[in-house]
Amino acid sequence: MNAFQRIAIIVGYEWRRAIAKKKFLVLLILALALQVGLFALFYYFFTNPPPGFTVIGPSLEEVKAMMWLVGVLGPQSLFIPLIAIVIAGGSMSEEYERGTADILLSKPITKIEYMTGKFLGGLSLLGFVIALTTTLGATLAYGLFGPQESIQFVPVIYLVLLYANMLFFSMAFMFSEVFRRTTLSILAAIGILVASLFIDGILSTMYFISGGEQLYLEVSKWLPNWSVSNLPSFVASELITAPESPFVSMPGGDIQLAAAIIAVYTITSILIAALKLVKSDVTKRTS
Amino acid sequence: MASQPIITVSSLTKYYGDFKALDSVSFAVGKGWVYGYLGPNGAGKTTTIRTMLGLLKPDQGEIQIASINPAKDPVQALQSLGYASELPTLQTFFTGEQLLDFMGKMFGLATQARKEKIKQLLDLVGLEEWGDKKIGKYSKGMVQRLSLALALVNDPMVLIMDEPTIGMDPEATAHFRNLFTTLSKQGKTIFISSHLLDEVQRICTHVGMINRGRMVFDGPITQVLETFTQQWVIEAELKKVTKTMISALKKLDYVQDVKSEENKLRIELKEKKDLRGEISSEIFKHKGVLLSLNLHQITLEDAYLRALKGGQ
Repeated sequence: MNAFQRIAIIVGYEWRRAIAKKKFLVLLILALALQVGLFALFYYFFTNPPPGFTVIGPSLEEVKAMMWLVGVLGPQSLFIPLIAIVIAGGSMSEEYERGTADILLSKPITKIEYMTGKFLGGLSLLGFVIALTTTLGATLAYGLFGPQESIQFVPVIYLVLLYANMLFFSMAFMFSEVFRRTTLSILAAIGILVASLFIDGILSTMYFISGGEQLYLEVSKWLPNWSVSNLPSFVASELITAPESPFVSMPGGDIQLAAAIIAVYTITSILIAALKLVKSDVTKRTS
Repeated sequence: MASQPIITVSSLTKYYGDFKALDSVSFAVGKGWVYGYLGPNGAGKTTTIRTMLGLLKPDQGEIQIASINPAKDPVQALQSLGYASELPTLQTFFTGEQLLDFMGKMFGLATQARKEKIKQLLDLVGLEEWGDKKIGKYSKGMVQRLSLALALVNDPMVLIMDEPTIGMDPEATAHFRNLFTTLSKQGKTIFISSHLLDEVQRICTHVGMINRGRMVFDGPITQVLETFTQQWVIEAELKKVTKTMISALKKLDYVQDVKSEENKLRIELKEKKDLRGEISSEIFKHKGVLLSLNLHQITLEDAYLRALKGGQ
């Protein structure tokens, strides 16, 4: 058996482990339900617009034709990063807490193969979740609002979403190995997500108060949430050239910078996790 | 050592912070041995085992399993090794069959071979009715049984078990004791850490004793009893004990002391020899009627306690 086969076995194992978690299932159901609810609201609103309601800029029909973007990018704002954190936050730590790391690592597998399998297993599960929300979003948009414009870009947007979410996924994965406590890992990663959003809000406010001081914007770009939230929109802006596109409001966004920032955070997190795993003992059951 | 060592532990030292958990521990286990690793709680037994499996990094020393260091090449070293941990917690989201299948995959077993092995192992550990049930529903004893089945999934040459029968009922304990003996006869090397000295004495060919991180004994089980028997004692029960008889026995060159209690004599010998023939002749000379005459041999428990006392 070669290294790839051993990694593939751990990938399959990781799916089983993550799917068995109630937290993961609850968040997934919540994300899907919210998506359905949001579309139901839009549908009601568009079919029963309040008297005197008019859309500024594009026509209502143009808005309806681009609703797939709401479905695809909507869950990205909060639910997908949270699901990424929940999957990765317990990936390594749960095995230590339950004492099952001993059982797995006393088998003919190297620590790096084990970690790679765990990482890829969780990431592929996240990919499946994003595929689910993306497909549901696009299907709901098509079903409720008719033919969609530029919908052929869904696969590209899907890949960008997966890439963007690697940041919080790998960060939670790193905490999972470093702390070896699931709750602490998830809290730390969520803490960074929330703090990042909060600081971003403050910096944006400062930017407007200062009358456009660029420094605030430049600093905010290095916050982890900036690239995760904006990269899919930046790419969508590049791809969808319709001038009245109502949902893509950031043309000319710095795609390369956002992609590079995600890569820096992701690679650093993976390296720290690998270093910790290789250099330290496999701890005994902690719960 | 008669047989080629399959496990070699050399000068193993392990610290947990400032605490020295293992202090230059060395021993070797030959092919086909059943090696009992004994020691009180916190002595370093589990630390030794986890280091042998490459789960812990030694601060000093080296381990070789079939001439391979498991920390450096776990894939090769652990391929023909089975491990059952102390009070195992298994993946509760699997059924017993699924977990055995998963472990079989990790050892590279083909689908058909896994299928056959799973059935065979579930039968062997008495869980044939529970194979399709989630492990979360198993009792502690059943988890312990499944853990042993998992250790055997790859038909290992070396079986390392940390307190393998803890939590099992007496019937299961006896069943597994027989199983270990059978496996040993098949040429497998078995390394057992256990508190059950009676069990160890029954099945082990060799014993290692550890106390406070230091080896206090390592050798064949026959040697351990010899080593820690400080004095050989003959216990005699007679119809009647007389003062002249006691006095005559005390005068014998090879007798250290004689103590009497009602119709029983406790004769302490100067040499480690079975001198029951000589003692009975002396008793008959003084018209004594012997009801029983036994050479008192120490048990492994006596030896263990003495070894620990020495180790302290």
